[in-house]
Amino acid sequence: MKKKKTPLKEQGKKWFIAPAITWLMLFTLAPLIYTVYLSFHGSRFLQVTRFVGLKNFINVLTDYRFWGAFRVTIIFVLGGLVLSVGLGLLFALLFNRQIRGVQVFRTLSTMPLFTAPVALGYIFMIIFYENGGPINNFLTMVISKQVPWLSNPSWAVFSVLIADTWQWTPFAFLVLLASLQAVPKDLYEAASLDSASSWDIFKHITFPLISPVLGTVIILRIVEAFKVFDLPFALTNGGPGLATRTLTFNVYTNGLRDQNLGTASATAIVLLVIVLLVSVLFFKRYGSNYE
Amino acid sequence: MRKKGTKILLGVLVLLVVSALITFAFAQDMDQLEKDTADAAFEASDKGQPDPSWQGKKFTVAVLASGPHGAISGPLYFWRPYWEQLTGATYDIAEIPFGELQAKIFTDLATETGNYDVIVGPSFFYGDYIANDWIIPIDKYFDDPRMPKWDRDGIAAPIRKLHQWGGKWYGFNNDHDGMVIYFRKDLFNDPKWQEEFKNEFNYDLPTRPDSWQEILDLAKFFNGKDWNGDGKEDFGISMHLKVGEQGFFNYIALAGGFVVMPAPGDDSAKVTRYYNQFWFDPETMKPLINTPGHVRAMEMLVELCKYGPAAMVGWGLGEAWDLFLRGDCAMVFTFGDIGTSSQDTRISVIKGKLGVVPIPGSSEVYNLETNEWVELDEPNLVANESGASWHGVITKYAEEPDMIAHFLSWQATPEINHWNVAWGWTGVDPGTVYDFLEPVGQAKIEDYTTTGYNEDDVREFLDAYNTMWFGYPHSIPYLRIAGAADYIESLDIHMSEALTGQATPQGALDRTAQDWENITEELGREEQKALYWDAIGYSGE
Repeated sequence: MKKKKTPLKEQGKKWFIAPAITWLMLFTLAPLIYTVYLSFHGSRFLQVTRFVGLKNFINVLTDYRFWGAFRVTIIFVLGGLVLSVGLGLLFALLFNRQIRGVQVFRTLSTMPLFTAPVALGYIFMIIFYENGGPINNFLTMVISKQVPWLSNPSWAVFSVLIADTWQWTPFAFLVLLASLQAVPKDLYEAASLDSASSWDIFKHITFPLISPVLGTVIILRIVEAFKVFDLPFALTNGGPGLATRTLTFNVYTNGLRDQNLGTASATAIVLLVIVLLVSVLFFKRYGSNYE
Repeated sequence: MRKKGTKILLGVLVLLVVSALITFAFAQDMDQLEKDTADAAFEASDKGQPDPSWQGKKFTVAVLASGPHGAISGPLYFWRPYWEQLTGATYDIAEIPFGELQAKIFTDLATETGNYDVIVGPSFFYGDYIANDWIIPIDKYFDDPRMPKWDRDGIAAPIRKLHQWGGKWYGFNNDHDGMVIYFRKDLFNDPKWQEEFKNEFNYDLPTRPDSWQEILDLAKFFNGKDWNGDGKEDFGISMHLKVGEQGFFNYIALAGGFVVMPAPGDDSAKVTRYYNQFWFDPETMKPLINTPGHVRAMEMLVELCKYGPAAMVGWGLGEAWDLFLRGDCAMVFTFGDIGTSSQDTRISVIKGKLGVVPIPGSSEVYNLETNEWVELDEPNLVANESGASWHGVITKYAEEPDMIAHFLSWQATPEINHWNVAWGWTGVDPGTVYDFLEPVGQAKIEDYTTTGYNEDDVREFLDAYNTMWFGYPHSIPYLRIAGAADYIESLDIHMSEALTGQATPQGALDRTAQDWENITEELGREEQKALYWDAIGYSGE
């Protein structure tokens, strides 16, 4: 059977994706391959010295700093997810009504999204300032007590989490509000004719219809939380001790501060594997929502 | 009623305008005074014989980021027009934040990019500079007629050592960092507090404390009392202990008296395997950081922390200084900058009340040879060069090293360097004979009072530094081996863990020791040993 020739016009169309492929190769695949290469090599002052096999990975996985950072990262992932997506959903449900001034609130709520995380860190440093900061001044007046926001290891983690939540809740809110507004109104009207309760309406209509978007928000939020760096960097510099040091913070200190690219790359690869695993598990469980 | 309101408003407006005018006039006066004194210093300084071929050329200085009128970077901006006028050449200033200095500078040098011709950097970079052959010796310039002459012998010995390696000079004189204790003289001399202190501690309030045990008692005593009458409890001591900042310098300075044991025999300053040591066993490069002397010092720091704001474990320099300057804290433990900032009445309420003592010692010191604690009648006083002692070095990649040497030599001349010290906003701290007052030094009190210092305050300030630099019998060796910043970062992190209760002092220092072993292994034990011997002047005897 004679193979049918692809028309020249069709062949030409393929070239339109060439820039995208080039971009992908240059800025995604090439750095990734180079990172893998570096993770198997020793380095000093950002220069590759010799092949060291799995030594960097063994060093990383047997280093208490890695496991400390892993624990902190997981706290940020879970805490950030629950707080920012939970609050975002709550606000979206509240503001998915005809309320006066909702436009103003919506506009104001986007502001944290446009604040650079480093700037946000410095803003919260002032807010959480323990001797004379606004929150502690208020607490002193009301309950005669102060909170060690940044000097106590546990409170420091919570403080970073609050700042992170403040930044990311609007994202969840805006996306979920948009998806709520896309739910056909006649479904709600039919349900109310059947005298369904608010909970039943949410459970059987709202939630199933917004769940694909909610899933997207969750996975984006998880991936973003795994990458958190700027906020603890600006707010606590990873301290006190190592209390707020995340995995990406370890990549930064290993790579740029200590200039050990091998260890930094190995940490980055481990982080990548963790994020990939989480993503794969997520899509395996909820992938049908996107088909 | 309305008329009355208008009058009050007008009154407030007039007051505001008058204060603004006074402030403006005062600022103008100070600017003019600053310029006049700088012009005089410029005229008096040796200028060498600038090479005409330098005209139109340019180099780049990497320096700590503090802005055009900030510490260390400020003087570079201030003196640039003068040097341009002198040579016809100029320079760019590349400001780098403290936390990024190592990454940016070492990357530039390691990759031979050559963005920076001069580094006005911290002294703890020397190990890497020397191990990698990144900077050039400057001895050849001392007799070069083109170069301005500066007084190398006038620099305090512990600081002078920081500019040299293996018998050669690499650094030009500039800043002289060390940590001392500042206190409220009015408070310490108040009979009411003296009586209460004696009742509580059963000995006289030490008005000039010289041991950490006394400092601890004083911090304990003044903490939690409203001694300034503002209705709030005040604090005993303030420190800057935020991880990733410069808190580790506090620990190093404090630990000297507990760890550095003077050598037996005629020369107590002699560096042997067990005496005048602080960082490593020079024979094995095994860390000393978790030995009993260090552990006791860390315990003291943890204890001291209880008598200041809990928040100070998250404080940088500014917050720690501010608490003392605004009159809410009895003592602050820090660098020379308080001597200057306490005189600025815009930020300080303690001008005229400043007390300063050199770094205290310890009444007990651990002997590494006998592995025993030694109790002393007099505190073991050990000076410290804790800090960066920012000064210029010329990189191997500089295209015009002679021209750069001229600039750095001129900045190091007694006239220019002393001007920087006397106008303390420069961040350049005192450390030479021409900074200290006659008759022990060569400076006149007017050098300082002209710039706004209270006479009593500046005498306290200079006496403390003069005593520490020239009067103390011993000094903590400065860590100048390769990877010094990595060793220090580990100490910094684990110190913070001890201070916040995440680890015991022993546990925190054991972790530090383990990190140090790893760093030494990574960089090569023998190579590090050779550098360490050179750095501390140990010969194996």
